[in-house]
Amino acid sequence: MRDIPGRLGLEPSYLLAALAAMAALAFIMSLSVGPSGIGIDAAGEARTLIFYEIRLPRAVLGTLVGGALGLSGAALQGYLRNPLAEPSLVGVSGGAALGAVLAIHLGLSHLLALALPIGGLAGAAVAMLAVVALAGAHGGPVTLILAGLAVSSIATALISLALNLSQNPFASVEMVLWMMGSLADRSLTQLWISAPFILLGCALLLTVARALNALTLGEDAASSLGIDLRRTRLAVVAGTALSVGAATAVTGIIGFIGLIVPHMLRPLAQYRPGLLLPASLLGGAAMLLVADVALRIVQPWVELRIGVLTALIGAPFFVWLVLKTRAELAP
Amino acid sequence: MPRRIVSLDLCTDQLLIELVAPNRIAAVTHLAADPAVSAIPDKARGIPITRGNAEDVLRYDPDLVLAGPFGVSATVDLLRRLGHNVVVVPLAQDLNGVRASVRAVAGAVGASARGEALIAELDRRLLAAVPPAGTAPTAVIYQIGGTVSGPGSLADAALAAAGLRNMSVAYRPARGGQVPLELLIAKPPDLLVLASNADEYRTALADNLRHPLIRQLRQRGASIELPWRYWLCGTPHIADAIERLAQARAGIKARRQ
Repeated sequence: MRDIPGRLGLEPSYLLAALAAMAALAFIMSLSVGPSGIGIDAAGEARTLIFYEIRLPRAVLGTLVGGALGLSGAALQGYLRNPLAEPSLVGVSGGAALGAVLAIHLGLSHLLALALPIGGLAGAAVAMLAVVALAGAHGGPVTLILAGLAVSSIATALISLALNLSQNPFASVEMVLWMMGSLADRSLTQLWISAPFILLGCALLLTVARALNALTLGEDAASSLGIDLRRTRLAVVAGTALSVGAATAVTGIIGFIGLIVPHMLRPLAQYRPGLLLPASLLGGAAMLLVADVALRIVQPWVELRIGVLTALIGAPFFVWLVLKTRAELAP
Repeated sequence: MPRRIVSLDLCTDQLLIELVAPNRIAAVTHLAADPAVSAIPDKARGIPITRGNAEDVLRYDPDLVLAGPFGVSATVDLLRRLGHNVVVVPLAQDLNGVRASVRAVAGAVGASARGEALIAELDRRLLAAVPPAGTAPTAVIYQIGGTVSGPGSLADAALAAAGLRNMSVAYRPARGGQVPLELLIAKPPDLLVLASNADEYRTALADNLRHPLIRQLRQRGASIELPWRYWLCGTPHIADAIERLAQARAGIKARRQ
């Protein structure tokens, strides 16, 4: 079966190769810029330390987290057949942040470093299941967003409660840290503990490509094509929880990447959810890396948080999407 | 002379406790007995604690209320409207500010002689810490979340009094703010001053203190831990901070020779 190429459609392999090249370029840029002005070609001991212990973890985390957010956004939109689905909007990121905050403030991450990503993915899984249960299997876009808003609000309230109760004198600053994520000054340790979970989650999400293609025809048709719907649901929920949960546990909530990237790439991916998955993985990585490079180049008097930048770009996009969805849903 | 004094601020708590006998203190904040932030937690133990809201303060029927400049303006307004005598003590941002704070509280509680004695003792200790002539080594006070103490802060004044040059200016033109770890590694100071150790705060915000590069920086160069209790408030105990810094400065000089 060969698809009719869309207006902007590209040969899938070309599309993926182009996105991979963009991500690779952004990765190299991410290694090359920083407040010290030391370039990728500099020599010396300080440069080695800065390179391997500061910029490399940041660039690799940016790739993994951006990829996880883009991919999970595409998977959620495909599986829920809902253009507004996205990890931070449906409350999965909020749940992950809550799980991570609990792991830290109950002292679990102090006993076992892996408790941090595990807390994040557990929180993400609970949030994801809660949203699916609240919105129902056949809820429309609006129901899903409302359910996501409810879950997000609960997560936010519980995070502030946990920070308040911890008698942490920095509670309000730390709240900002979780709400507006950051890739700054992360160490290799944080990379090692989160990377396996993120990669496993992404691998799981990529397995549902065929199922998502079939699902565009509806659930009954997909079942008749031999798609195991229960397995697909499990892979989407577990894959999102693993990847977004572990990512959020080390960076805080970075919003809108999972919304913007799949929407930008959908026409290029010929509206095929299956192809959109790897495309959004690469596109998400490229976008987050570019955003992270941009905020290090455009340095005002303080370093901007990456979550602030993605929200500044993403929120207007979300508004546009709401208007578009409303027009489509209008009787 | 006021006999039922209530203090609503960690810094006025400490000044009050140093200046008057405990039987004249009606209540202080819970922070005064917290060893993480108070220079005199032992002296504060046993003094009743106020939650700091107007209703709680009224319970003590105070004849004098001491407050700081931040966070309690609504309470201060309310207490004043109810006819209470409230003295707001400004935040000390340099050593003259410390002297002014001591005098402000001493004047309000009627302990001017004791206040002048505290200031004389502070000046004696400052004189002993005065650095020898020559170039001052650089230092940075690196805190949770990557923030540093900038010019115009009490910590900056303490560095200067100990013969150290605050390097925060070299990292950031703006006052205070955060310094990316990368800059700290590219241009390390002669002395790294840490306001808390890596295990003190189990929060994501303190991850910067747990970064392996900070451990390396401490192994390679001079560093000291200077807990907040020494320099958070402008009390005569700022001399403790200055003496520790001066000692660390002398250590750097010795190491170089």
